[in-house]
Amino acid sequence: MNLKNITADKLVALYKNRDLTVTEVITNVYEEIDRTDPDVRAFMSLCRDRAFQEARRMDTKIAAGEPMEPLAGVPIAIKDNITIRDITTTCGSRILENYAPPYTSTAVERLRSAGAIVVGKTNCDEFAMGSTTENSGFFVTRNPHNLDRVPGGSSGGSAVSVASGTSLIALGSDTGGSIRTPASFCGVVGLKPTYGRVSRYGLVAFASSLDQIGPLAKSVRECAQTLEAISGFDHFDSTSADTPAPELVKILEQPIKGTRIGIPKEYFVGGLDREVKAKIEACMRLYEGLGCELREISLPHTEYAIATYYLIATAEASSNLARYDGVRYGLREAADSSLREMYRRTRHNGFGKEVKRRILLGTYALSAGYYDAYYLKALKVRTLMLKDFQKAYEQVDIILTPTSPTVAFKIGEKTGDPLSMYLSDIFTITLNLAGLPGISVPCGKNSENLPVGMQLMANHFEEALLLRVAHHFEKAGGFTV
Amino acid sequence: MKISESDIEYVAKLAMLEVADDEKKELAEQLSRIVEYVEKLNKLDLSGIEPTPQVVTSAKHAIRDDRVAPRTGSSDASKTVKLFKVPKVITER
Repeated sequence: MNLKNITADKLVALYKNRDLTVTEVITNVYEEIDRTDPDVRAFMSLCRDRAFQEARRMDTKIAAGEPMEPLAGVPIAIKDNITIRDITTTCGSRILENYAPPYTSTAVERLRSAGAIVVGKTNCDEFAMGSTTENSGFFVTRNPHNLDRVPGGSSGGSAVSVASGTSLIALGSDTGGSIRTPASFCGVVGLKPTYGRVSRYGLVAFASSLDQIGPLAKSVRECAQTLEAISGFDHFDSTSADTPAPELVKILEQPIKGTRIGIPKEYFVGGLDREVKAKIEACMRLYEGLGCELREISLPHTEYAIATYYLIATAEASSNLARYDGVRYGLREAADSSLREMYRRTRHNGFGKEVKRRILLGTYALSAGYYDAYYLKALKVRTLMLKDFQKAYEQVDIILTPTSPTVAFKIGEKTGDPLSMYLSDIFTITLNLAGLPGISVPCGKNSENLPVGMQLMANHFEEALLLRVAHHFEKAGGFTV
Repeated sequence: MKISESDIEYVAKLAMLEVADDEKKELAEQLSRIVEYVEKLNKLDLSGIEPTPQVVTSAKHAIRDDRVAPRTGSSDASKTVKLFKVPKVITER
């Protein structure tokens, strides 16, 4: 059995019919990991013992005819910046190399209650800062479609695990595209929910006003199932929305005829790869064929998005990462002379290059004399961008764009030039600044056989519509358009 | 605006980071390019625009009730003595 060809709902049905046991599947998962992971390196750590324990417990329950949870026995992978009690949570950083948190994140807690089995923690850019997973403090993860290419990031390990069939569903986190970009580069589905939809309790903070946990999977339905399981109010997160967890799976089949889809003209300018553009145009035609109405719209402040994002995200990061001082978490370097020396040595040896660069930029943007010129200004532009979207959603229901201007690029291609790396995030970061939900779905491959991703965005808390519109695309053959 | 090597030293001090001498030049160049890029925001007229520090989608209670509630792990944490072993954080002048 190859998990690449099966989805969670089908797997649960096989368990139910006693065609397969959970233990067999978990055994298969670890065999696959042993076989494929030395090449792609999606996993930071594995939790074999606990996974097998849970599998056996689940098999006993199923054999006894007890009712099954919606994701019973489904193997999942968790990005290594989301906590699971007593399991190392490194965030891809040397500073947390041996950190085992004393609590489990709400999202993982809820997935476990839904029956899912965690097989391991996945590699990511250090503290989720990156677009390729090359900034991991431990090792580089590779794209299973071409081992010389990046998998995208920062949730690269999660996307690669799903694409390689070593988990059916994975959790990632998305601060500026960190779920959607790797989903696009690895040919899987990646969903970034509305800000506040999923509790951030247990998600190690990068930029608190932008961070959001979400699922990656091979199908839209699995993303809907996962979001149903993990969303809803949580009093451990003060920004958690008090909106009830939505019913998503049941309404996937409802028709989408007449849905108004906006095409923002600012997303189809220079820098967009010709083949990616052609694929996205094919997606538009497919939606027209499904009876949707396409409209050109304008999001006029798009060209300011990267500048705005990299000021806000780094400012928040510089503040969030101040907690890594050698006293409370992980690494502590020895110092002879003073406490300050211990702080500085710990942070110097524990943080990688990109994290330091962002802390410096964020500290600069917040420092006396520059706060008004940089940070405050960015917050005001964010207001303008939010208004752009509000205006757009008066005219359309969904916005359709490419997820990334290009397909997966070569490992090492952009590491020397941070600004050009930041510019590759252009299509994904606007959504985080506005707190909106979005999804990247596969829409075929280019001439080099590399996956292309289409992004759909919806208004706040409109995940039900978003997933429906994506599901109909998948059903109509859009994934191989 | 150009970021100088002494700016890097100053910001590094604020951020409690060490920056090696050979890194200073590269960082000053990279951050200068980024800062010059973000200065495109100066083209916009932002008078009368309110800042958005967070997109508030719904906040039931930004501050929860001050009640003791069970929380995973907290009781175990207090048993694990090494979690609370910290270096000396008070120094003599």
